[in-house]
Amino acid sequence: MSEEVPTEALLYFNSAEARTIDAFAAQIIPSEEGSPGAHEAGVVYYIDRALAGFMRDLQSLYRRGLHVLDGLSSDAFGAGFSALEPHQQRQLVEALDARAAAEPDDFAGQFFRIVREHTVQGFFGDPAYGGNRDVVGWKLVGFPGAQWGYTAEQMKPGVDARSIPILTVGDLYARIGEGRS
Amino acid sequence: MTEKFDAIIVGLGSAGGILAEQLTKAGARVLGLDKGADYSEDDFAVKQDELRYYQRGAIVSGVSVDPVTWRPDENTTARILPWSAGALGSDEPLYGMPSIGIGGGTLHWGCAAYRFREADFRMRSAIADRFGEAALPEGSTVADWPISYADLEPYYEKVEWEQGYSGRAGNIKGEFAPGTNPFEPPRNRDYPMPPVPQGPGDIPWVAATERLGMHPFRQPLALNSTEYRGRSACLNCGFCHGYPCHVGAKSTTHVTSVPAAKLTGNLDLRTHSRVLRVNRTADGKRVIGVTYVDNADVVHEVEAPIVILTAYALENVRLMLVSGIDGNGQVGANFMTHNFGWFASILPEPTNPFLGTFNASSAVDDFTSELVPDNDLGVLWGSPVISVTGDLQPIEAYHLMNPGVRKFGLEFKHWMRDNYTHMHRMYSQTTNFPYRKHYVDLDPVIKDRWGVPAIRITHEWDDHDAHSVELFGGIKRRIAAEMGAKETWMDSPRPPYHLSTHDVGVHRMGYDPQTSVTDPFGAVHGIDGLYAVGGGSFVSYGGYNPNQTIQALAYLSADRLIERFGGTAA
Repeated sequence: MSEEVPTEALLYFNSAEARTIDAFAAQIIPSEEGSPGAHEAGVVYYIDRALAGFMRDLQSLYRRGLHVLDGLSSDAFGAGFSALEPHQQRQLVEALDARAAAEPDDFAGQFFRIVREHTVQGFFGDPAYGGNRDVVGWKLVGFPGAQWGYTAEQMKPGVDARSIPILTVGDLYARIGEGRS
Repeated sequence: MTEKFDAIIVGLGSAGGILAEQLTKAGARVLGLDKGADYSEDDFAVKQDELRYYQRGAIVSGVSVDPVTWRPDENTTARILPWSAGALGSDEPLYGMPSIGIGGGTLHWGCAAYRFREADFRMRSAIADRFGEAALPEGSTVADWPISYADLEPYYEKVEWEQGYSGRAGNIKGEFAPGTNPFEPPRNRDYPMPPVPQGPGDIPWVAATERLGMHPFRQPLALNSTEYRGRSACLNCGFCHGYPCHVGAKSTTHVTSVPAAKLTGNLDLRTHSRVLRVNRTADGKRVIGVTYVDNADVVHEVEAPIVILTAYALENVRLMLVSGIDGNGQVGANFMTHNFGWFASILPEPTNPFLGTFNASSAVDDFTSELVPDNDLGVLWGSPVISVTGDLQPIEAYHLMNPGVRKFGLEFKHWMRDNYTHMHRMYSQTTNFPYRKHYVDLDPVIKDRWGVPAIRITHEWDDHDAHSVELFGGIKRRIAAEMGAKETWMDSPRPPYHLSTHDVGVHRMGYDPQTSVTDPFGAVHGIDGLYAVGGGSFVSYGGYNPNQTIQALAYLSADRLIERFGGTAA
């Protein structure tokens, strides 16, 4: 089992909140043997940094959502979400997914959809934003990332996408920097 | 003293950039006002960032700055676009207003470059001839255009050569080349460049449509396939639709017309300058100039005998309405927008959908416009069916994924792992008829931070829209089955969006001031010197992307304006 969060600075969440979001995101994109998930990708750090900056309008929504989530968790299993067994967490997420489908205006269901959206962003967005560490999201699906371009050979049918070395926005900045020096 | 110019252009985008080039080259002193930035090459040097551009909409005009509201009908209170202003923190460029800044919507567009067909200009007559007058949708204001394809053909050609389009002509003066589009309207000349490299996912699509007896052709694109006029060929980076270009390969007036206008020395370009209203003489019959606010919040009045609104169809309407110009109630009427009927497949072979631009692929015109097949659904006008093989990043793939798959847990993770590199998409752009009940006006409550009312859309998909999506969904389903698709799914025939940057018709062209706003050259009826140019002028809306026709109309307007100045066209 990997280390518990937080292992590095937080910009918005407190430690307990970070552990809850980390566990919640791990239910949306789970980890497997040899196949990292939202936890290893650092999704919680993506969401934390986004809430401190671009998504600051959603800060109070997250506070309320975390409160509601822990309330549901305590009602069902007598403990906060991050303290539950994985199968209990899974059960709660299934219930939230069903609520989101059945009652589009239900807050708990909406909060689940919002955290899922941000989990996907943190898993598949560029690592510069704090998630997708070691480009695990791109490795999973076969996305080569931030490429300057693709050659005629790479455009041909039958090319294995996972054979193309993955690049990030940071890699491209390093390249144009070298080109100019 | 008030500054005076020969002409003021409001919005240096797709049409405004062209007008700026043509008028300054003819010797006019032009003031160009744009509410966005004039980006430098450095701004876009590294733009391969899905979160920044596609999910967070870095270069589009977001609803927090430029609010737009929508309601399905007059009995409902309008809300800020519910499909793009949710709490999900996403502001996808596809279903909002276009990008802003020099280049406008052409900064972020997918480069789809279609001429309209001959019949598209006489939609009402063509439908009446084939199906009878009674078949026209009840209450629709659909009409024939006051200009024909032949009138616009030289301007279409000018767009292709001046702005740099690539493709392969099917019909040069009635001569059909083998393996091209046999349904193409006649043209005088081929494209200046051949098509861009084809995405691998398009190859099974072409084979399947051919086996089904259709006639696939490579889509024309406003994108360099070779170096053209000092601009690079496309590098197939796959961050194109919704993104700016990092090498200047995409045709945008930001790198074509506006730099040319600057070189004349006749363009005074002011960015971050937001026009608040159009000013007229006391009797309202002649334009004087405009009032704008700069980014230090200083308000300026500037004068010119010619004011050209090229700020996007909806913004043109907003500016006219806040200036008290309603054109006998015609300003804002006849709103039309496209319904895309998105259809996705998982193919047996890899499509590698991150390769190349959105439309580095093929289409068929077998069912477009007047070629719509006989059908029991009452569909009167057809659309191309378009293959999309590139430009798909993983977050967007998640948004488009099969709605039948659970979106959490290992089922979700494994679906993305196994299917992302095999995704293929198709779309059509079915005809949205104009109606009196579909219009844009000023929202009575919501205002922007400068106190200007938001634009309000009143629009709902009608039966013809939904039936068109179903009819073309059937065609897409046949193609997908022929490709051996393992999974397929399709968007709702009545999708949530009603705004997509393909929004037109709201300052219709015509000769009768009771039923139109401008003449075919963009001159607003009854107000000397005021012009409105762009998709707002469209009279009807077939299945092709609007931009090449917008640019052709800009060149047409420019010729008329240059005559007025007594200059010579470039």
